[in-house]
Amino acid sequence: MKIEVLGSGCAKCNKVKEIVEKVVNEAGIDAEIIKVEDINKILDYGVMVTPGLVVDGDVKFAGKIPSEDKVREWLTQ
Amino acid sequence: MAEEIKCACDSTNVALFSCSGASNVGQLSNQLAIELTEKGVGKMMCAVGIGGQVSGLLRSAEGCDRIIAIDGCPLNCTKKALELSGLEVDRHILVTDLGISKNKDLRVKGPELADTLEKVSEILAN
Repeated sequence: MKIEVLGSGCAKCNKVKEIVEKVVNEAGIDAEIIKVEDINKILDYGVMVTPGLVVDGDVKFAGKIPSEDKVREWLTQ
Repeated sequence: MAEEIKCACDSTNVALFSCSGASNVGQLSNQLAIELTEKGVGKMMCAVGIGGQVSGLLRSAEGCDRIIAIDGCPLNCTKKALELSGLEVDRHILVTDLGISKNKDLRVKGPELADTLEKVSEILAN
């Protein structure tokens, strides 16, 4: 699984990366976690507000910090 | 000088969608969205991407605190496209309600833009 955390590096973006790493570790998911900070690459996904989360090319959310439960649902479904 | 990279994680996100349609008022709606973005009222986003169900644009709109839709004419394509995607429009601007009749001219006239921008800014301030 390829997980991309979109955001240029502020506290909100880092928080999302933390949540993703926690869920991945707890659930034992085999995943590559990438932080995407290039605004042009973020725009390539159509994402206009960050933080954002992309799982295997599918944009799951943008603009807010998701709950841990929601992230778990996206990564384990 | 290198352009400063600004994080897109604003505390409040306001989305601006315009119809950008093929008429004077459609193109005026597009210019209004640009001007309002530059004034910091919100962020212009791609309305056609909502109609096209592009996931990144849908998720971006869902992640916004408020949505402003700017339609050129009473066909209300922007508002309808947003609502069909389950997105609630907080403010709806209709350019023909601001004293401009729809025609097929695609060039936005400077005085019309300035006058309409002033009216829209007043509406959004209230």
